[in-house]
Amino acid sequence: MKPKVGFYELTGCAGEMLHILNMEDILIDVFSKIDLVEFRIASSVKRPERVDIAFVEGSVTTEENLEALKSIREKSDVLVAIGDCAVWGGIQASTTGEDWKTLMKEVYGVEENYFRFLGEHKSLSECVKVDYELPGCPIEQDEFVRLFIELLEGIEPKIKDYPVCVECKIKEIPCLIVEKREPCLGPISVGGCKARCPYYGTPCIGCRGPVREEANVAGEVSTLVEKGWRKEDIVKRMELFAKRYKDIEKLVEVKK
Amino acid sequence: MREILVEHLARVEGHGNIRVVVDKENVREVKMEILEGPRFIEKILVGRSIDEAPDIVARICSICPDPHSVACVNAIEKAIGFRPSEQTRVLRELQLISDVISSHALHLFLLALPDFLGYPDAISMVSKYGKEVALGLKVKKAGNVIKEVLTGRSVHGCTVKPGGYTRVPTQEELEKLEKSLAEAMDGARLAVDLFASFDLPEVFREENMFMAVDPGEVYGFSGEHILISNGERRPVENYRLLTNERVVPHSTAKHSYYQGESFMVGALARILLNRGKLKGEAVELADRIWEKLDPKNPLANNLAQALELVYSVERAIELIEWLLDHGIGEPRGEMKIKAGVGVAAVEAPRGILYHFYEVDGEGKIARADIVTPTAQNAANIEKYLRISAQRLLERGVDNLEPHLEMLVRAYDPCISCSAHLVRVVRLNE
Ligand code: SF4
Ligand code: SF4
Repeated sequence: MKPKVGFYELTGCAGEMLHILNMEDILIDVFSKIDLVEFRIASSVKRPERVDIAFVEGSVTTEENLEALKSIREKSDVLVAIGDCAVWGGIQASTTGEDWKTLMKEVYGVEENYFRFLGEHKSLSECVKVDYELPGCPIEQDEFVRLFIELLEGIEPKIKDYPVCVECKIKEIPCLIVEKREPCLGPISVGGCKARCPYYGTPCIGCRGPVREEANVAGEVSTLVEKGWRKEDIVKRMELFAKRYKDIEKLVEVKK
Repeated sequence: MREILVEHLARVEGHGNIRVVVDKENVREVKMEILEGPRFIEKILVGRSIDEAPDIVARICSICPDPHSVACVNAIEKAIGFRPSEQTRVLRELQLISDVISSHALHLFLLALPDFLGYPDAISMVSKYGKEVALGLKVKKAGNVIKEVLTGRSVHGCTVKPGGYTRVPTQEELEKLEKSLAEAMDGARLAVDLFASFDLPEVFREENMFMAVDPGEVYGFSGEHILISNGERRPVENYRLLTNERVVPHSTAKHSYYQGESFMVGALARILLNRGKLKGEAVELADRIWEKLDPKNPLANNLAQALELVYSVERAIELIEWLLDHGIGEPRGEMKIKAGVGVAAVEAPRGILYHFYEVDGEGKIARADIVTPTAQNAANIEKYLRISAQRLLERGVDNLEPHLEMLVRAYDPCISCSAHLVRVVRLNE
């Protein structure tokens, strides 16, 4: 029997779903291996039954999101958070700590909480038990396929946890911080993207979220401050994707 | 009284819900409800450098990250008084076209075609319509490959900056793109044939108003003026007046009206307002299918998209040839930062997208305002939902949902980009 698989979205841009649909060459193959239970942007199929694997993207932002996530958790054997929104709350989580009622008023001109907004944008693991987390904004297609096959084959997936800099060195890209004084977040961001942004001539903005074990935030900040950047600007850059990284403030406080 | 709730509208990007309240004979109210979480993107931008802005706005929507980032840098450059090189302008037009190609191919082959042929999705169509799905995926891929080459990724690229690009494609890359585009042509033509063969349900017909960017002499996806089907032409700086956004009490998605009327943006609007600017094969195709492009029926939007697909593939090849002929120069120009405000409009696949920025003297965003196409279409979608639901009731149709969903889907709404939109709810007595 084919494994039952569901793809679910909470609050985000549907980037993971679209990036999966963007694998045109292998799309049909991938989907022929599973019994699709839900994939809203691509199919009208929606079956409420149990699934073997649930892929969930998006942050937990509204009460609906939270209810949906809980019910997905209940009915799935394996729950995988895909994309930065699901893993870290996404760029919207960079508003954490601001008064959301003011934001609501300024952006939507209303004060009532029509959205049933929770007041902050949480990652999935802050709300339920998550089995695996695949980072990226959006996720990398090759990493997704690999994880997907591993889960189908019952192989324990390994999620990367080394900085983008490692891949940058492998590709022999001249370091943007050293050579160009650019505020690259490669040293503290988790690799797997093959150092896409440095390769394309632009500093890493940290879209895959922080390295968990080795993130040397303080080191990164002091290097950049030495290069003439303002600390608060660097921190603000980091917080775009990593505001909910618990240690960020603590680490940043350890000044050089 | 009953309330029809078509929840969880499938195959639109974003979570759609339409809510229609009817009594025995009459539609009492129609609402496109917002359930999606607020992301406050316009506030996230404030205080950040202009270099970060295009990467942030791309994340508003995965289907149209490119129009967002291009509109963003166009508006920022206007604010600081920088004029990009011709090469940059050609690359940006190519980037906009790449999004049109992949988005239209996705919508036509994977989302709309299953509707017309009675399948839940494209994957289940494969056994009977394998050729159609394969050709459709080929077209979609041709658009995505352009994005990958130009921006590093098919979703949320990273090279688009005020001043130009951080990397420009090599000659070999451009030649490869040309080849994949040439191979996509058959799929694009097939889309026209397929969508020209479907008859559009009468119930959706009604007078409509349209708006599209005036691209200048050649059919395209950016410009400085907006054309309106009532004959007016207005500078993009008038965008507030043109969209006259109103927050409707039942939803936090802003709805747009112009002179009190709802209007439609998107492929149909563009084709109707800019037909004379088409070139190449699309000209003959347009002549052949013109009768089918019924301005009164929003479902004709699908066929207009198919026609644009043919045009876009051809036009992309032409732009690539321009680049190859002129040789690839400097990726990015030198900018001087100065405070100012700027508005830009581009055509996203689903219609006009406005970005406004105020930039301060340090090169940071002081204020941002973004009006998305789906927000502009929302009021128009509601108008057609109301009219067609009423007519369906009068004809004794009980199962309104599939009809109404098809209508909504024809607009190809990208709901995540306008907060959130549609919900059909049925109130039982
Ligand atoms: S992680 Fe990025 S790509 Fe994924 S939903 Fe969030 S914003 Fe979109
Ligand atoms: S280099 Fe950084 S910003 Fe770019 S894709 Fe990799 S993690 Fe994301």
